[in-house]
Formats: sequence, C-alpha cells, structure tokens
Amino acid sequence: MMTTLAQSGFPEAMTTLTLYHYLFISAVMFTLGLIGFITRRNLIVMFLCTEMMFQASGIALVAFSRFYLEYTGQVFVIFVLTIAAAEAALALALVVLLFKRNETLDGSVWSLLKG
Amino acid sequence: MEAVISPIILYAMIVLGALGVLLSLPRARANFALPGFLIGATAGGVVLLALASKAVAEGGGGLPNLYFYLFGFVALASGLRMITHPKPVYSALYFIMTILATCGLFLILSAVFMAAALVIIYAGAILITYLFVIMLATQSPTEEMVEEQPVFDRVAREPVLATISGFLLLAMLSTMLAKGVPMLVTPSATNADEILAQFPHDIEKALRHRTTMGDEGGILPTETLARSVNEDGTPGEFVIDVANRTVLVQVDAEGGATRTVAWPEDLELGHVQAVGYELIKGHPGAIEIAGVILLMAMVGSVVLARKHMQIDEDAKRAQAQSLASREGASS
Repeated sequence: MMTTLAQSGFPEAMTTLTLYHYLFISAVMFTLGLIGFITRRNLIVMFLCTEMMFQASGIALVAFSRFYLEYTGQVFVIFVLTIAAAEAALALALVVLLFKRNETLDGSVWSLLKG
Repeated sequence: MEAVISPIILYAMIVLGALGVLLSLPRARANFALPGFLIGATAGGVVLLALASKAVAEGGGGLPNLYFYLFGFVALASGLRMITHPKPVYSALYFIMTILATCGLFLILSAVFMAAALVIIYAGAILITYLFVIMLATQSPTEEMVEEQPVFDRVAREPVLATISGFLLLAMLSTMLAKGVPMLVTPSATNADEILAQFPHDIEKALRHRTTMGDEGGILPTETLARSVNEDGTPGEFVIDVANRTVLVQVDAEGGATRTVAWPEDLELGHVQAVGYELIKGHPGAIEIAGVILLMAMVGSVVLARKHMQIDEDAKRAQAQSLASREGASS
C-alpha cells in the first residue's frame, strides 16, 4: 500500500529537491569541520569544529528521516545533541584546566604529554 | 542512475573550493582571506546553482525551494568563515550563524522540533558556554601585542595537506551526485494515523471540542470512547478503526449501546507528538544511556573543576592530634 505524504504525517516539502542536495550540504560542512580541526591550533576552535561535524551528521540524519518518512533519524539527532552537550561540558572544563596550567590555548603545546 | 550534476562541474568546483579554503586559511605573512573567501563562495555557489538548474529542468517552472539554496549557502559560507577567522569569538559567532541556517534547512525538511531544539540547545546553551570559556581563557593583552592575536591563532597548521585530504574526502563523498545512485526503495512509511490511534485521549478531546464548538459529529459530555472487553472481564483497548478513521463511542455508561463516530477531518499528528512517540517507544534503552552519559559529564566536570587543596603533612598531623586530645578530654 502506498502511503501518501499527508497520511505519513510529513507535510509536503521535498518536492523538487532530492536527498542528494542535503547530503551534499552535509558533506561540505563535514569537510570544512575536518579541515578546521586539522589546521586550527586554538583548542577552543578545534572543539567548535567538532561541533560543526556533529551538525553535518545531523543534517544527513534529518534528510534521511524525511526521505524514508521515518522519525528514527530525528530521534538520533536528539541523541547527537545530548552527546554534544556532554562533550562541550567536559571538553571546556578540560580546556580551562589546561589554560590555567600553561597560560596558552595552543594545542601543539600539549602534543608531548608526558607524566 | 541519472547524474544530479555534471561531473566536470562538480570536480572543477571541488578543486576551486579547495583553493579558496587554502587561500582563506590564516597564514603567517600575506593575508589572502578575502580573495580566498570569494573563490570558495564562487565554487559553492556554482555547485548550488548547478543543482538548482537541474531541479528547475525537472520540476519545470520557477526556482523551487529558493530557501534551500539560500540557507545552504549561508550555512557553508559562515562555516568557511568560522574555520578561517583568526579570532575565536568571531568563530563562535559565525558558528551560531551556521546553526541558524541549519535550522532553516531542518524547517524545509519539516523537522520543526529539531529546529527549535537546535536553537535552544546549540545556539542557546552550548555556544554561550563556548563564548564564556573563550573569554575566560584569553591572555590579557600586553604592551607589545596590542591588537594582535597570538601566533597559534594567526598561523594555520599544515594548511596544504589538510585541505587536500579534506577535499579528497569531499570528492569521494559527492561522487554520488555525479554518478547518480539508484533510487532507494522507500520502506513502509510511518503512518500518522497509526501513531495517532495510540493517543485515544487526543481523539476524544478533539471530538468533545467539536461538540463544544457546536459542530456536527462530536460526542456529548456524557459519552465516552468504548473499550473492548478482555476475556477476564476487565476493560481492554479502545476500539479504534485506523483504516476508516472511526472510533466506537459508548452512549450509555453501563449499557451496551454504542455508535460509530468519525475522527475530525482536521485532526493531525503533531511533529513533537510523533518524534516523542518514536523516542519513547522505539529507544527506551538509549534514553537511559543518554541520561547516564549526562550524569557522567556532570560528575566529570565537577571533578575537573574542583580546587586541589594542598595541606602539608605537618598541619594534617597537628589537626589529627588536636582532634584526638579533644576526644580524650570529652570521654
């Protein structure tokens, strides 16, 4: 039985857009986050770039959720948000601690962690 | 297996975009941020326009979903500016811009709750925390470095290698656009009426509301939704016919008289309702795990943030002795 859009609870939206439009946006955003994570040396900006990669995965999940007319993808985004919040709390506490110890936010200072 | 975009345009624009990102990354001497940003924006814009022209050719007439291209462009442009801006505060602000544009994309995908949650949690909570930490953990400017960022903010690490590897990944990821992927088969879709049938009290409320408004087809205050009877005589499930969108209504409180009432036409499944139902019904274990993770993060940040008291051994011994003598005196 074919389910129409209205019956499935998703209002009409994705009429002439394909799934790949969203996946392309998501891929570019992930790439930008990855490049930022590698190139930037400021610890806080590095964590911001991981947040951007989370965002990119969120776009892909919601787009797939729309494509399959399933709500599971959006539920996954809720969990991604949860993990992002927990990660931000812990990572920023660590960053403040590291800054207190060394008075710098340069990530490469901590590349030789010993004892 | 139809290509969404011509492969020549796609790969040329990926190379151009890589060049733009490479130029706009902060570097030691010369500053090419503006031309790099323009090149990157051109590359992204050309790809988006190529996608749009394909959509126009297929959809016929008018630029469809202008907002998708608008939000997509804003998200990517502010994302590029975020990873290249030498000042962390501006990076965070550009990231808020990216999040707001992403919310627009979510709204086009009719994920209303996700957009709201993103604004509240990301832009409202997480980014504010980031801004706090940026302002807490910034060196106070000294005399010789007025108006100048520290060197680790001004010079990117390995820009060429990072850009090449990143855009190789992007080229591989976006090959689907050029090659075309066979249309995936949509599995059995979530039926809104089936989810709605799990909320009999919502249906009852809507029917009662009709009577209050004086419309036809509602139920009276004395009437209730009928339940089936289990084998042991206890009341069972509500009798709801999903296929015909009707419910059975008990006219008399104790008697057997029932009648069939159709759901109101305008009764629709809310987005929050649907997501919440899927969350609670489909992933109860994951909610517990998410709760444990949040608790761990809370305990962890408290442990990280506590002060380490340095009590020397002599003071500790003296305190123990005074406690012991007091104990001896009292007993």
